[in-house]
Amino acid sequence: MNLLKISRKTHKWLMLFLGVQFVIWTVSGAYMVIFDIDYIHGDSLVENHQTKINPDKINYSLNALTQAYPSAERVSLGMFIEREVYRFEQDGKQQLVDADTGKLLSPLDKSSAVAMAKHEYTGRGQIILAELITKDSDNRPFELSKRYLPAWRINFDDMGSPSLYISAQTGKLVTKRHEFWRTFDLMFSLHVMDYEDEDPSNWLLFWFVLFALTASILGLILTYYRIFKAEPLSTDNNQKVEAN
Amino acid sequence: MSFLKLMPLIKISHKWLSLLVGLQLLIWIGTGLYFNVMDSVKASGNQYRVKVTEPAADLTHLVEPKQILQDFDAAVSLSTITLLSKPYYLLTQDKALYPYFKNQYTLVNASTGKQAFVDKSMASELATASYNGPGNIVKVVKQDPPFDDRLKEKNTLWRVDFDDEINTRVYLDASSGRLAAHTNDDRRIVDFVFMLHFMDYAQERSFNNVQIIVFAIFTLFFALTGLIWTIELGFNGQYQFLSLFGSKAKSKQIKIFDKHDKLIDTLAMSSQENLLDSLLNHDIALPSTCAGGGTCGRCKIKISSDSRTTSADKAHLSQDELASGYRLACQHRSDELTSLTLFDVTQASNHLLKLISSEFISPYIKELRFKTIDGQPVSFKAGAYMRFFIPAAKGIAVPVNLPPELMHHWQDVIDNEYDHLACSRNYSLANGDGQSNELVFTIKIQMAPDSVVKPGIGSSYICNLAVGETIEAVGPFEDFFAKVEPTSAPMVFIGAGSGMAPLKALIEEQLIKLTTSRPIHFYFGARSQSDLIYADLFESLSDTYSNFNYIPVLSRPTDDWLGISGYVQDQLSLDFELLLGTHSIEELEFYLCGPAAMMNSSIELIKSKGATDEKIAFDDFS
Repeated sequence: MNLLKISRKTHKWLMLFLGVQFVIWTVSGAYMVIFDIDYIHGDSLVENHQTKINPDKINYSLNALTQAYPSAERVSLGMFIEREVYRFEQDGKQQLVDADTGKLLSPLDKSSAVAMAKHEYTGRGQIILAELITKDSDNRPFELSKRYLPAWRINFDDMGSPSLYISAQTGKLVTKRHEFWRTFDLMFSLHVMDYEDEDPSNWLLFWFVLFALTASILGLILTYYRIFKAEPLSTDNNQKVEAN
Repeated sequence: MSFLKLMPLIKISHKWLSLLVGLQLLIWIGTGLYFNVMDSVKASGNQYRVKVTEPAADLTHLVEPKQILQDFDAAVSLSTITLLSKPYYLLTQDKALYPYFKNQYTLVNASTGKQAFVDKSMASELATASYNGPGNIVKVVKQDPPFDDRLKEKNTLWRVDFDDEINTRVYLDASSGRLAAHTNDDRRIVDFVFMLHFMDYAQERSFNNVQIIVFAIFTLFFALTGLIWTIELGFNGQYQFLSLFGSKAKSKQIKIFDKHDKLIDTLAMSSQENLLDSLLNHDIALPSTCAGGGTCGRCKIKISSDSRTTSADKAHLSQDELASGYRLACQHRSDELTSLTLFDVTQASNHLLKLISSEFISPYIKELRFKTIDGQPVSFKAGAYMRFFIPAAKGIAVPVNLPPELMHHWQDVIDNEYDHLACSRNYSLANGDGQSNELVFTIKIQMAPDSVVKPGIGSSYICNLAVGETIEAVGPFEDFFAKVEPTSAPMVFIGAGSGMAPLKALIEEQLIKLTTSRPIHFYFGARSQSDLIYADLFESLSDTYSNFNYIPVLSRPTDDWLGISGYVQDQLSLDFELLLGTHSIEELEFYLCGPAAMMNSSIELIKSKGATDEKIAFDDFS
């Protein structure tokens, strides 16, 4: 009986301090498992185009490119919407060149970025915002990594307020976000109790988890006593014979 | 507040949800702790991985991309890459969203324009270039998915095994030469822990599986019910910060009354623990199965009608009881009151009892005699009962050591074995003469009504105890006892079956211990002569004490029965005028114990004759 009493008392007190975090863990955990991770990652927001390069359209040779851009590195050929393009790095900067004419396309203008976003987007929403975000912008969203800058942010008027980010230098879709993903990121922060780096290795989490473990073990002791060791309840306490 | 009405439901939900999700919760927290403390470098599997920096290809000596695109299958993209310092074109024919999804590549030697393949030696060299550990390559194999340590990978990979202490494995995409991953024993442990945390028993490396969704929802409700409970405890003043620091700090003298409003003690009780615990510190054990959780509703006491009520009080007590001042002891503290009234208990305590004899006194009733193991006498008022703790055990339907002459009574009982859980059972003490230290019980072995229902597990267990064996019991609980009043009015005892026990104790107390001169009438009902337990004892008592009148009544006597036949309540009715004598009905005291049907019709009869409730004491039997 003593173990039961200690367990109850300690469980009660620990949960006074841990109770809210338990709810946070379960709410955030439930959110993360219920929403399909591929949906969360916005895989359904974008078309995975498989447009093939037409070799006949490549009238600007690699040779011509290396002469025009002697320090070009990591050259690749691919598509930008319906157009064959070279992408390469020049002195640490990405460039986009038309593979037919050799015309420099980067940095992308607004209409090209919007066209690219429309081309990729699978939803039906209308574009409500197209803005260029550069290294100097003070409006860089948390969800867009610095290494993708400069980039166009294209917002759609659709469920979950989706945003597509198009690199202004390569014309490629670099990332996408919608509210469900943004919420997921928040939930993950809450789940691991790290509100800055989303890093599960932090001391706050350590102490909470340690106490939570203690509280749960005591809780299981209570369960054991209440369910497996409980006397059959009877309204009549003065039962003198078997009523089995 | 209507919300409070939900509290019992919330508490019950919390209890059963704890059973459902408790172990999984422990796994989640345990694995969560592992993720928190693990070494993130080791956990990544990249302990011996180095960044590979290949020199940039000299673009001026390459075959024109246009040529390559014409020569090979149509591609989505063409990239220049360098593998082991040689330039290649990588054609992507099918481009998936992620590298580990199914992609289709062609690798072309950029200097010659010929297709290139990542062969075993190339794979080994690429792996070695990314590796800085002490091991050597022991195995290189090309493998199709699935991979037991690359669960999401959908492409054919080269697997390069190193013989270092952590069994590093390097995976390379077989068609592109891309370094897919490093993995090692540390990483495999992490993968296993992830599998547990995600309940990913199908090994899909996904946390979107059905089982985790179901458990997550139940656990969410579990946490919410717990939080609501905690908040409710807070509102009920169950969180007293001072109680965390010792309980001696502040105590208060509380007057303790018994149920007859008799002052029995004044006790110092701390205001920092609940009354149930405070009373236990003074060896007063109230009945409780939840140890103060407010969920069993058994620790009923009376304080005052204007004291506050908690949701647990409301859940277990009726409006009338609350209005009369009844509360649950576990929900209140000494600082709320100056006195309290106990009901179910006086000075009960735990005893270890040793069986000293066990005899059949009728075909189905045994007389058991116990002594405390420490030899200390247990004092009790006649009519008291003890609660026996029956351990989990294997039970048998037919008693052991059945005397041969009783065999025929048990011949129709199927002799089966069954398992039973631990439980507790209350049995009345049958002795009240105050002349020995023994505790005597008469216990009827309850048979199963049919083959589905188990026999009475408590009575079978205790009646099958061997002499010398011990059993734990708590008590005595004094609930049913004789009134002590200066009167010469008759006492009428009415009983049947094993309801004998408390009545026998009360009669012995009156006659032998108190040597009363009040007239005592004892009506005892049974089926036949063999059920007439203690007949000899009562015959001799009625010979010795002229004020004692023993009236056995048999419902199914054999032909040689010379006594009264029928039912006790009928005989009582016939005798009523005789019982009264010179006294009025209000003066008579009635004590009943037996089967419910007998008690109900007897009480009905007595009341119809004009007796009041306070003169009728009965020991509820069923």
